[in-house]
Amino acid sequence: MTKDRNNHHESAAYHVTGTAVYIDDIPVSSDALTGKVFFSQVPHAEIRSFDLREAKKVKGVFAVLSAKDIPGINNMGPVVHDEPVLAEVSVQCIGQAMFLIAADSEASAEEASGKIKVKFREKKAILTLEEAMKQGKPMYPARFIISGDVESALKRADHVIGGEFHTGGQEHWYLETHAALCVPGEGDEMRVYASSQHPSETQTLVAEVLSVPKNVVEVEVKRMGGGFGGKETQGNHIAIWAALLAKTTRQPVKIRLCRDDDQKYTGKRHPFLIRYQAGFSKEGILNALDVDLNSNAGYATDLSRAILERAMFHAENAYFIPNIRIKGTVWKTNQPSNTAFRGFGGPQGIAAIENIIDRIARRLGLCSAEIRRRNFYGARSRNKTPYGQIVKHNHLPLIYDKLLVSSQYLKRKNEIDAFNKKNEFFKKGIALSPVKFGISFTTSFLNQAGALVHLYTDGTILVNHGGTEMGQGLHTKIRRIAAKEFGAAIDKVVVNATNTSRIPNTSATAASSGTDMNGMAVKDAIRQIKAGILPIVADHFNLKFGKPKTRLTDLVFSEDHVIDDRHKERKITLREAANLAYLQRVSLSAVGFYKTPGVFFDWNTGKGHPFYYFAFGMAVTEVLVDTLTGAVKILRADILHDVGDSIEPLIDRGQIEGGYIQGVGWCTTEELRWDEKGNLLTHSPDTYKIPTAADIPDVFNVELLKDHPNPGTIHHSKAVGEPPFMLGISCWLAIKYAISASANHRKEPELNIPATNEAILFALEKLKSK
Amino acid sequence: MMKFATMSNHPTTDIIRFILDDKEVSINFTRTTRWTPTTTVLQYLRSLENHKGTKEGCAEGDCGACTVVVAQLENGKLSYTALNSCLIFLPFLHGKQLITVENLGSFDNMHPVQKILAEAGGSQCGFCTPGIVISAFALFKQHGKITRPEVVDALAGNLCRCTGYRLVIESVMHACENRKPDIFSGKEKKVVALLAAIRKDRSTIHLKTTDYSYYLPQSWQEALLLRQQLPEALVINGSTDVALRVTKKKEHLPLIIDISLVEELRLFRQTKKEMLIGAGCNLEEIRIAVREAFPMFSELLDVFGSRQIRHRATLGGNIASASPIGDTLPLLMAAGASVVIHSLKRKREILLSSFVTGYRQTALKPNELIYVIRIPIPSSAEILKFFKISKRKDVDISSVSGAFRLKLSRDKKISQVSLFFGGMAATTRPARQTEQFLKGKTWSRETIEQATVYLQKDFTPISDARAQAGGRVRMAANLLIKCWSETHTGKP
Repeated sequence: MTKDRNNHHESAAYHVTGTAVYIDDIPVSSDALTGKVFFSQVPHAEIRSFDLREAKKVKGVFAVLSAKDIPGINNMGPVVHDEPVLAEVSVQCIGQAMFLIAADSEASAEEASGKIKVKFREKKAILTLEEAMKQGKPMYPARFIISGDVESALKRADHVIGGEFHTGGQEHWYLETHAALCVPGEGDEMRVYASSQHPSETQTLVAEVLSVPKNVVEVEVKRMGGGFGGKETQGNHIAIWAALLAKTTRQPVKIRLCRDDDQKYTGKRHPFLIRYQAGFSKEGILNALDVDLNSNAGYATDLSRAILERAMFHAENAYFIPNIRIKGTVWKTNQPSNTAFRGFGGPQGIAAIENIIDRIARRLGLCSAEIRRRNFYGARSRNKTPYGQIVKHNHLPLIYDKLLVSSQYLKRKNEIDAFNKKNEFFKKGIALSPVKFGISFTTSFLNQAGALVHLYTDGTILVNHGGTEMGQGLHTKIRRIAAKEFGAAIDKVVVNATNTSRIPNTSATAASSGTDMNGMAVKDAIRQIKAGILPIVADHFNLKFGKPKTRLTDLVFSEDHVIDDRHKERKITLREAANLAYLQRVSLSAVGFYKTPGVFFDWNTGKGHPFYYFAFGMAVTEVLVDTLTGAVKILRADILHDVGDSIEPLIDRGQIEGGYIQGVGWCTTEELRWDEKGNLLTHSPDTYKIPTAADIPDVFNVELLKDHPNPGTIHHSKAVGEPPFMLGISCWLAIKYAISASANHRKEPELNIPATNEAILFALEKLKSK
Repeated sequence: MMKFATMSNHPTTDIIRFILDDKEVSINFTRTTRWTPTTTVLQYLRSLENHKGTKEGCAEGDCGACTVVVAQLENGKLSYTALNSCLIFLPFLHGKQLITVENLGSFDNMHPVQKILAEAGGSQCGFCTPGIVISAFALFKQHGKITRPEVVDALAGNLCRCTGYRLVIESVMHACENRKPDIFSGKEKKVVALLAAIRKDRSTIHLKTTDYSYYLPQSWQEALLLRQQLPEALVINGSTDVALRVTKKKEHLPLIIDISLVEELRLFRQTKKEMLIGAGCNLEEIRIAVREAFPMFSELLDVFGSRQIRHRATLGGNIASASPIGDTLPLLMAAGASVVIHSLKRKREILLSSFVTGYRQTALKPNELIYVIRIPIPSSAEILKFFKISKRKDVDISSVSGAFRLKLSRDKKISQVSLFFGGMAATTRPARQTEQFLKGKTWSRETIEQATVYLQKDFTPISDARAQAGGRVRMAANLLIKCWSETHTGKP
């Protein structure tokens, strides 16, 4: 633990030596059982009858459970209780859990699963968003954000364009599939090792389903092998199923989904269908936007409403649009319930407006980057969002100016146009796209965090906080924050596994808020511990050195010492200080708490102040498209992103690069395709293609915006988890530019997300026949 | 009860022996219920207490989280190759050294590839990291200068969802540029001696349990004899395809002849006119060996699976599996390759295009095995092109692929033409009507545009996870245009 001073990530040494422990690596006792879930293979049906007798007879099988065996509430919906733990009367999607099996081996569980008999009466299933919309029954009434008078503004506009835009879903493809290990203890005690972004919610739901109080359910998350939102709510499911089996058998039970099951049966990014009308001036100034966002929720609510809301909050992205009506509707289909995924609706909303801007530029024959600039939020005027929040500390114009120069955008665009004139079959494209991303949970009460910090008498520090580590480097940043607050060396600080017994009632590690909130809570706890130590050290110095006296305000924590800033010879190590305090019977442990100030929103009026601040970034991407094969090569990407004062620059760069590439994947090769019966066809990495090392830009320039500290946040930093994802949209826009070049930019290509090679070929063909 | 033949006329042994953690490990499948002959190396490692670093990410050879290195004797020296442990059955390890991430270095004493990845920010969630470390290590042990494209190629079979790869690529690049002898260099002599001792025993290995009979013949004669005696046995070599039947479809494969230890099948011979490639040559060694004589084939293999897959997949296996996509089939058919087939009593040779008879069906008889593939080296007077369309450039199966061979007269007339497509029908198939149309016509844009109409008569493709029927038709036509554009104007 002390030798990783040079490593950027607190777990890096464990990662590279293969000693980092994930759920499936936790040593288990010899009586541990394998849990297996029997999933529905029909999308919509009434359950007429089922027979578990043969399954129960299989050698090595310890339990086969149905809904009847659930001691508590048969529901695991995180916000709205509309998701049965196990199907009872009907199934509503392929992949809905029906029965649970615990066995002494994978093979026995498999065999038992094959012996379960179910009789269904199949019903008509809704398998696409379009079909759900055609039926006209939304899951919830539509929501609106309205500003100005969009109808009359559309009438007054020089130009009006309208259309439809589709964005596809996206599989999270965390490398570690869903897994949980549950170990029963004395009485009702249940210890849950989960791969969950939200241990407190896992704890709540396990308690409800088992019908036990929360104080006997302990959930621990050491680390996840990737989350990206996919384990914000749906990690709960696996934990609940394992807990039910563990409670029944009174033996430890582990469930780990195989990759295909994970892909087929768990939720993904919401597909959206967006309809719009946009009015703009001859100069390309966007005066009116009427946008209708529709999302495919799948069969249950999960986080669909909050995700739709965030899409609505980002439907204008970086642009001031005085007259706007944003309508948002969640639709129910007979598919696995879609869920959180990095960006949380933001990418869908932003992609739609970026496509509109792109169309405006093409319609007017102007440069799309210039159209973007003209529409950016202003510094003093034109700075009010459709929902009434003022955009403060707006770095958009600054980032634009810097990036345009550093990427040599205009020069390269000219070169690309020249290249395109000369080449029939290969076309290049370039595009700039911005992101303005609101930071805070839009459900305001979630913006709270807790911490528990201990200083031990050997001068080492143990930090507990409510956030979970999924690779994003949260624990690394927290460690840096704690070390800085204590003036301690980084290797004196250990960040503990997240545990509901240590930090209760936490929010999910989501909305990019992990460092912002937990960092502040940790700081609060450390402030209290330091306040306890200061008088002890001051007394100690005064006793030893006499006059002039050391005042409390003179003492600083620095370089592993407590030092009198005015009399530098008066210093003791943090270890000695801790010991002194201990002998004086002063607590060296404190609970910290934080709530984000000033955030609120009212859906009755569609107005409020949902975000504490905004994060900004911009990317320029250049691509080469082979118009005969649809193959895309990213030649170069330039990114300038705003993270305030970076707590860990290498971690932040990693988030930006990884987010961008994940965004590129969503926009290009990652395609979800179903058959007519509702089976996912692209259900394994064989057919579902995320980017490889060979798909990253040949030239990849990533810079952090310097010298713009973020006021009011932990060490003046900014959230970085989600915003860079949306920079990947610049790649999609560049592809569209290349396609458009094949018709000399005179016609509008029909292209949606994802722009797969096939979609590119279809778009090119349509352009020819237009 | 299944009836298993016994090999009375050859000495047999019933255990496998390999090296792990610097020690010889032997497994006698009759004495354990923990593992069977079709237990994968990944399942085996996951069942051990001290090898949890090897992760299961997909169990189908696409993500690389389970990558291990296998060191084996090549001309008295060790060669280190990265493989997907999820696609290898345990018996493959016989006579080899298995190296996992734990063997590279510890917290206090890291291997250079581990150290640089940890320090440079090459890991985020860390789940893919052991696999990346191992792929990087295999590259580190490779001879010769290592370029950036080489690094990217070596890592293309390791999916990472967090980092965006840049820091990973740069770290590995840095480690490979500063190569020094590592902890394995010092142990090499000892390992070579141990492995040589194991391989000295050339008896056929017969792993027999109540549920399995798994043969590992060590000579071609024995392999043919087994094939004769056990015509119902499944023959495997690289097992990259067959392993999925166990791991994904949960099939029980009771009777297997594994020909991966048959040295004769590693034959590679090249003359001015042709190449003879043993059915057991793996695609990675072929990729490197044919680079000069048949660059088109080498380029095809550049985008064939990952390096981990290519190290295991054999040319014989690829041909015998006769998949509709075909991978190597369109090009080899267009090149006029033929298959040399042996049985105990007979040798015969047939054209590859006649060898494939239907969807995953071939002309191979139950007592026959593929010995070598004979590939005529394309003459410079001919045009031979191969194109592949896939959703992702690397490690992706084609939606459509096409191989085109043309002979043009001096006045640009097409005197000979053969066009083979993968992904357009149940098998790799020639486009006969299109060929017929093209014969005698001028090799021009106009001719090609007209020819694409005939493609629609030749094929009625299906829609599946990779492409739609309409997309496939467009793609096939585009490949013809691409062939024309490259032969006409050259690459841009």
